[in-house]
Amino acid sequence: MLTLGNHQKSDPAIAGPPAPGDHLADPRTRAALRLQHHLLIAGREYLTEAGFVELLPPVIGPVTDPGVRGAKQVDVDYYGHRFKLATSGILYKQASLTAFDRIFNVAANVRLEPPEVCSTARHLVEFRQLDVELANAGREEAMHVAEGLVKHMVRRILDQHSALLDELGRDQEPLRLLVDLPFPVLPHPVAVTALHRRNYPQNPEAEIEWPAEVLLSREYDLPFFVTDYPRGSRGFYDRADEENPNVLLNFDLLAPEGFGEISSGSEREYEYAKVVTRLRETGENPAKYAWYLDMVRSGIPASAGFGIGVERLTRWIAGLEATWQATAFPKLPGVVAP
Amino acid sequence: MSDLLRAPGFPEEEVRARARDGERTVFPAADSYGTTLYGAGAPVPADGLDALRVAPPLFMPGRLGELVQLGREPLFSDVDLDTDIGGFRSPVPVFVCAFGSTRVANDGLAAAASRQAARLGLPMLVGENIAPVHGYRDEAELAGTLIKRIRLYLDEVPDGMGGVVVQQSTEDADAEVWNHLYSDPTVEPLLKTGRLGFELKVGQGAKPGLGGMTLVDRADGSRLAEQFRLSTLNGVADDDRNASLVRSSSPGTFTADILRHQIRLMRNNYPRCRTWVKLFPGRDVAEAVAVAHAAGADAVTVDGAEGGTGWAPTSFLHHVGLPLGECLVRLSDTPACLLASGRMWEGARAAKAIALGARAVGLGRAALLAVDEDADQGLLRLVRCLALELQMLTSAVGKYRVGLLSPDDLWRPDVPT
Repeated sequence: MLTLGNHQKSDPAIAGPPAPGDHLADPRTRAALRLQHHLLIAGREYLTEAGFVELLPPVIGPVTDPGVRGAKQVDVDYYGHRFKLATSGILYKQASLTAFDRIFNVAANVRLEPPEVCSTARHLVEFRQLDVELANAGREEAMHVAEGLVKHMVRRILDQHSALLDELGRDQEPLRLLVDLPFPVLPHPVAVTALHRRNYPQNPEAEIEWPAEVLLSREYDLPFFVTDYPRGSRGFYDRADEENPNVLLNFDLLAPEGFGEISSGSEREYEYAKVVTRLRETGENPAKYAWYLDMVRSGIPASAGFGIGVERLTRWIAGLEATWQATAFPKLPGVVAP
Repeated sequence: MSDLLRAPGFPEEEVRARARDGERTVFPAADSYGTTLYGAGAPVPADGLDALRVAPPLFMPGRLGELVQLGREPLFSDVDLDTDIGGFRSPVPVFVCAFGSTRVANDGLAAAASRQAARLGLPMLVGENIAPVHGYRDEAELAGTLIKRIRLYLDEVPDGMGGVVVQQSTEDADAEVWNHLYSDPTVEPLLKTGRLGFELKVGQGAKPGLGGMTLVDRADGSRLAEQFRLSTLNGVADDDRNASLVRSSSPGTFTADILRHQIRLMRNNYPRCRTWVKLFPGRDVAEAVAVAHAAGADAVTVDGAEGGTGWAPTSFLHHVGLPLGECLVRLSDTPACLLASGRMWEGARAAKAIALGARAVGLGRAALLAVDEDADQGLLRLVRCLALELQMLTSAVGKYRVGLLSPDDLWRPDVPT
């Protein structure tokens, strides 16, 4: 069993990645990447079967997800215009629903995270998301798809690739447990109360902090959803509850055993005036979102969706100490790497 | 002293004299001692805040308390000026305001202000548009960039004192000033010691309801055209290559909800930073301060209509916005850490603002003039004068912590604010 948050100096979560050649030659890296390969095959199968179209997203654009938690964007000189590398595909995901009702893709995202998150063992500057968006769907439907998708991928590994788990020394019991049981749902205020009971000073108006997620995650045997994050803690596109406007109709999916968040999702704002107002609440200048706002103004479908962090998912299923072990060429916050 | 910097309508000569000659300017000229009779009339007050008088009582239980504690009669030098300003410790209830991107803030003045603010241990704001206008990381190490100012500050600030607060306004969000800074190794010593803050700029005293405005030359103009609205003024030919352009930025749209959620998002995104908010002197300032405080802002600055180092339309300079004194009266019940700026330069006005509820006062124009007068010592001398006056005024009402000043200590003559 892992002892997250209690690392020794030799722990890879603290030591960081070795040179690329050594990392790629490491049998554990190879097993983890092979596992990831099978996870993606299973994920694509599941979504394709469910009627989703794999629609590949752009890498650069005039704006990208303004992001949260202090990560900065990468500027690209695009013929003299300042463009951005995608921090997430959210704007294009919503826009893509004007072509197909159900889309997914596996997209690279880049977020220059504050160096302080280097120690979370969970953050990568460059990472991939298995992104999913469903038109005319609510949060519950998106959560249902996310749960089904994760179960399908885990089941596939257990059924066909358990040798990889053995090679990685992964205890398979927690994985076997989840495939047949519903994932618990924990509204944010309940999570905050639970943390306060454990003397963790979680701000009730903010995102669950990284150490707090680990704390919660250690207490669960199954993946679990945290829902209803407070307005002001997430991106402008997470839809606010009309009945209770300070609550967002969103969710995170957290892996158990101390691994923490592997996915974020939400019902989306899609009505023009609301989107513009919410953009202002995040301090953004709507002018730079012109292409997106034009599309929203002329009408995009209501939707819900989510993104699963591919490396985080792999790390959890493989039982790795750190997320960087689940990628071939890891880039950690604040660490310059190829 | 530069030939460039002037502050019409501001007590420029008095500030320069303090920056040059220090604490002796708190008193009449020494050579007049014993030969001149004083006390016949005060200068005409510039506004309602200046028109207030500090009114000491004859009976002072507070002084008795201090006497008991000290075991001797207290002196004005016993007054404790140490103040928590929005999460930062300062030896005096004074912070240095942001100077913005206006031309007067360049030419090394801002750098000199950074160094001197640091030596004093005063919290310092770095203004909006610094990054998008002057460049985030100035390869040539020209004074005036954000990082340069922070480095200069860090070089001199005493341990445990002061802090740097970086503003961002709506247009600055394009340059992601806060995100850039939060990950920059230069600021790590500030973050590690809890001395970095971010200030959401809702507006400024000189131009209530308007966004930033500066004059830029045509070369800068072409660089800035994508981000700002640029216009020529009537009477300037379009092909006049030397003419300046007016660069206008959007003031940004705020409602109570937008302000509340922007503050919450700042706290969510930058948990290692203090969260400050700067308001222009709007007629709903009390509601805005209440919203900011409830959303968790560590400090709210109210910039009175007398404030602002910047370039503004004369109609705004003369006719728009509430005076600082009126704002403070409207905010008398706020539990927020309220900071006041607007025409601050000496101890009496500062004492009055503090008595009306401000935790500390900001030096803007006065700080610029002081460092313009003496780039090495000007601000230090000016602040020492102000501190000495604050000690004398506070002790005169029988109090020995500056934060204990209260409206009871003031008398309001029958003049409009």
